[in-house]
Amino acid sequence: MLEALEGSQAIARAVALCRPQVVAAYPITPQTHIVENISKLVADGRLDTQLVSVESEFSAASVVLGAAAAGSRAYTASSSQGILLMAEVLYNIAGLRLPMVLTCANRALGAPINIWNDHQDSMAVRDSGWIQLHCADNQEAVDTTIQAFRISEATDLPVMVCMDGFVLTHTLETIEMPDHKVVDKFLPPFKFARALDPRNPISLGTLVGPEYFSEIRHAQHKAMTDALETIVEVDRLWEKASGRACGGLFTVEGPADAKVGVLAMGSVVSTFREAMAELPSRKKAKLINLRAFRPFPAAALMAACEGLTDIVVVDRALSPGWGGILGGEVKAVLADMKKPPRVHNVALGLGGRDVPLEAWTAVVAEAKEPAGFRILDLEPAKLEPSDL
Amino acid sequence: MPVTMTKGAFAKAGTSLAFKTGTWRSARPVHVHAAAPCHRACPAGEDQQAWLARMQEGRPREAWESLVAANPLPAVTGRVCPHPCESACNRGKLDAPIAIHALERWLGDEAIRNGWTYPIPTGQPRKERVAVVGAGPAGLSAAYHLVRRHYNVVLFDSMPEAGGLLRSAIPPTRLPRDVLDKELSRLLALGIEFRPRTALGRDVSLDELRNEFDAVFLGVGAGKSRHWDVDGAVPADLHEGLHLLKEWLQVGALPMPKAVAIHGGGNTAVDLARVMKRAGVPEVHLITASGLPGPDTEPDDVLNVVPREFEQAVEEGVKFYPHRTINRLIMRGSKVVGVEMVRLKKLPGANGRKTRVAFEGTETVLHVDMVVPAIGEVVDPAGVEALLHGKDYFPADRFGRLDGQAGIFVGGDARAWVKGYPNGTVTAAVGDGRRAAEAIDAFLSGRAPVEEERPPIPYEALNLAYYEPSTRIELPTLALERRNDSDEIEGGPTAAQAAAEADRCFSCGNCLACDNCWTLCPDNAVIKTVETASDGSHYVFDLEYCKGCGLCAHECPCGFIAMEAEAE
Amino acid sequence: MTETTDLRAKQPRFRGLEAGHRACQGCGEALAARLVTEAAGPDVILTNATGCLEVFSTAWPQSAWRVPWLHSLFENSAAIASGVEAALKAQGRRTKVIAQGGDGGTFDIGFQALSGMLERMHNVLYVCYDNEAYMNTGIQRSSSTPHAAMTTTSPPGKARMGKRHMKKDLLSIIAAHHIPYAASASVAYPQDLRRKVRRAMEIDGPTFLLVHSPCPLGWGHDGTLTIEVARLAVQTGLFPLVELERGEVASVMPLRRPVPVAEYLQRQTRFRHLFADGDHRAREEREHLQALADYNIERYGLMGDGDDPFDSEGADTIRRGGPART
Repeated sequence: MLEALEGSQAIARAVALCRPQVVAAYPITPQTHIVENISKLVADGRLDTQLVSVESEFSAASVVLGAAAAGSRAYTASSSQGILLMAEVLYNIAGLRLPMVLTCANRALGAPINIWNDHQDSMAVRDSGWIQLHCADNQEAVDTTIQAFRISEATDLPVMVCMDGFVLTHTLETIEMPDHKVVDKFLPPFKFARALDPRNPISLGTLVGPEYFSEIRHAQHKAMTDALETIVEVDRLWEKASGRACGGLFTVEGPADAKVGVLAMGSVVSTFREAMAELPSRKKAKLINLRAFRPFPAAALMAACEGLTDIVVVDRALSPGWGGILGGEVKAVLADMKKPPRVHNVALGLGGRDVPLEAWTAVVAEAKEPAGFRILDLEPAKLEPSDL
Repeated sequence: MPVTMTKGAFAKAGTSLAFKTGTWRSARPVHVHAAAPCHRACPAGEDQQAWLARMQEGRPREAWESLVAANPLPAVTGRVCPHPCESACNRGKLDAPIAIHALERWLGDEAIRNGWTYPIPTGQPRKERVAVVGAGPAGLSAAYHLVRRHYNVVLFDSMPEAGGLLRSAIPPTRLPRDVLDKELSRLLALGIEFRPRTALGRDVSLDELRNEFDAVFLGVGAGKSRHWDVDGAVPADLHEGLHLLKEWLQVGALPMPKAVAIHGGGNTAVDLARVMKRAGVPEVHLITASGLPGPDTEPDDVLNVVPREFEQAVEEGVKFYPHRTINRLIMRGSKVVGVEMVRLKKLPGANGRKTRVAFEGTETVLHVDMVVPAIGEVVDPAGVEALLHGKDYFPADRFGRLDGQAGIFVGGDARAWVKGYPNGTVTAAVGDGRRAAEAIDAFLSGRAPVEEERPPIPYEALNLAYYEPSTRIELPTLALERRNDSDEIEGGPTAAQAAAEADRCFSCGNCLACDNCWTLCPDNAVIKTVETASDGSHYVFDLEYCKGCGLCAHECPCGFIAMEAEAE
Repeated sequence: MTETTDLRAKQPRFRGLEAGHRACQGCGEALAARLVTEAAGPDVILTNATGCLEVFSTAWPQSAWRVPWLHSLFENSAAIASGVEAALKAQGRRTKVIAQGGDGGTFDIGFQALSGMLERMHNVLYVCYDNEAYMNTGIQRSSSTPHAAMTTTSPPGKARMGKRHMKKDLLSIIAAHHIPYAASASVAYPQDLRRKVRRAMEIDGPTFLLVHSPCPLGWGHDGTLTIEVARLAVQTGLFPLVELERGEVASVMPLRRPVPVAEYLQRQTRFRHLFADGDHRAREEREHLQALADYNIERYGLMGDGDDPFDSEGADTIRRGGPART
């Protein structure tokens, strides 16, 4: 059924469809509307869950860690500083191989404090061992949220669903909310083999010394790379169940014979899609919408980039002293190609700076510039002379 | 290793058992069954701790059986023993010693009341015959322990009834005759052939016994009064204490002076003093070289009587003069009119041995018209001259063996003092009989006699944090005005009192089954198992995991656990 | 297998913490955890803060725990316990959750998570094994370290006499949460400890137990003395054993005869500088600690009237067959 819903409200409804047994969260802009909507669903008796309103994001992550370990389907959401306060726990959840879903309403990190959207927060926990799936619009976010539980429970890996703060969370869109029956069939009740249970008392969270640590880490790494297949498979199954797919690991859109590619994640993809339709460029370019940032689809991406001379990677985050994080990764991956395209890396839309349709033209034009990194929408006039 | 365990690195329950922390240990806990001070002090060789433990378990019959494994006369000794066990009792250092004598008496009386039979260990009957001469405590004990070892025993005594001094010299106010009769008749009923009215030297000779029997035990006692004078002076009408007491017991006759000085520090002196006082002698003075019972008196210096007998004697009006001796008799003609006393003390001399030192200038005079020495007796040599060689006592060792006299064994008051084995008490005689039985058995089996040796357990080795101060039972005592010549003065405890009193026992040097080691081991390396613990404890140490921290040893209330260094 | 393996399986008590763990010799915390889990029984799920207990009990692929056990981080034992409890509630299971932490993970870094757990009224028993410093990292001061104690971050010297500040009064803060039950206990009084665990287990709601657990290594006493030292802490009044119901003191273990604090201090090298010859500060600090003990005695009314079977001298009394009083 099509409904006009705010992104956060849609996510709350999607989460409710997945019947989480424990939800724990702590308010932070721009995640708050998600938790508020879940709270309302609980208050209205539309969601039967243990809603734990904790005293910090750190405890929110810890509560869902405990809940998952005890065998419950668990969900949390956060953003920005909250993600960083969770960081220690996020590594733990992944290392303990606990399935759960977290919505990251992507937001910049301070200082300076900034409540608007970019990807710095989820990038900061890039190496935590969480699956990170990015959403281009709210329909994708709803579908990805539902898929995320299934992926997580199939792989014993936690899944972070990344959706841009405000741009998606606070935006009203027409959403097709799946039917309860469809979701129930797609997502059977959670059964966790390693659940804490006095009848089979295992110990979770043991001390692993140098003699075994590498092996445990290898097992985690392999589970992550194996999850690439699961992500594709679950997307396919969801398409079968709901009629909608999210593009698996990534989608490639635009003219098949284009020699220039643009790779981006999140809501800018929607902006670029629209720009491609509204502002036909003289220069042909493909748009690669990267959905699975972790695990990183290296082999598939190399195949997709065959024939490109240039690729412009759009980052919504910055590693000071290095450049774009996504850009660096794409460059590293494509370096293994026989004839790799030149990799151009731009950051734009940091801290909520508007990404207008025209940004597409500028991004495509970047392919003509020397390879390297820059902040594309920088306004040099605003800088102090010494910063130039 | 199952691959799935790498998923989040989980581990299965209790798998740490694969990690043997016992390799860390540099010292291991061991159970050390030490000898409790009561046991070490007991001349009869009773292990009071052991039978108190059975009492604590609520098993009085087993307690009695444990007791009579050493001493067949608990109803008697519980009444007459000066109980050095209580003086040694570690509990005395915390509050008051266990009233062991009262519990012993209670068990003895219970056994009589319930008709419990002496437990005889199973074993093959022996064909050898043993003669036991003297049916006093030493002879009775020797006969009993020989019967327990399945020997044929013939018990000889010059008197018509068994009992020796128990019957002839202890007032019934201390040892009721029905108790004595019941205890002895049960004992004799074990299969001891008793030949009364058969005196050695008169009715039977030592040589006859040697020929007829495979071994001979002499428990003939010390029946002849020791010579007594003061610088050669002796009153014309001198009566010796034991003689007066025996005469009173047999025919009720007693001299009635105005004031009497009894010289001596043993039971005879005190018993006689009390009998005379109760009979109406206005002034009864007791002069002794020993000290009076009390915290400041050293154990080897204290009056050799049951402490409560002393207290009762004081109550009854007997006047005591401790650390004194008679320096001079003040005579008018051949009649005594007074004694001059002087203070003295046993002090270590140049060679380290204690000797009596009199202190000049401390002389005092007592006006008395009678002096009674009660300073002890020596062996009556009749029939045993060949063995005594003119000495006062038989120079036997602790097992009663006499040099050059294979097959002859001696015990009780008849043997000379042996270091560590004092005699002169009923319980010492019982102990002598028990050791002699072992020596006789060893002699007839061609082996050396053995005696159990266990290390002592000092007060400091206990952990007192786990014991609460408690009150020693008070036993009923006849009021002064109701005391007479026949009724027992001190009563026994009730069953409830006995149980409560037994509960006060620290269990020094032996397992109290208190669970402390089991409860307090941080490493779960103490295993509770009543059945499997072969050392009488309820616990075994799991040395695969014991790290040797020593906590169990430190927290064992009883000092039963020691740490023993591991071999390098 | 060996004979003891068979016997071990037949022990007449539940073993929550099995042998083969790697705690130091005479470890008070290992003992405390063993006693707590024994008293709690098998139908529990434990959480554990990072620290000695976690490290010595679960060297992968082994674990000493016989109950389900979850460790995540240093500061979130209370929070993961909250999550476990929420999950159990969601699943309709009645298994009790016990959160465990040391004093570092409870008084300090995990304090917020603990407060949150108590405020939200989770049905969790939180047990803090208080050994009064960061022992796992090598004896650094925590807010639970007693005044004047030496640690590697509160060393005595010309300018300092050990830790400057007081031991944090955690129980009062716990009391302010108005939870149904909170208590302090000591490994020296296992019967009392077990009773308090059982009491807490019966309550549907948050409960808190502070268990004084000596660390031979960190306190500087022989492993044989763990109980003796713990007992003295109680008997001096330095570590009062109290029970709080809804934040109100409901009962205390009375002291029959307060022991001078010097008796306690001199058994531990962490207080050695308080016995330095010719240092006037040593005497001052000893008096200070005595005054703190006296303060506790007055504040909690620890002086009993007459002998009480459950006072500081009666509560650990034994008899043949086990503890005299249970």
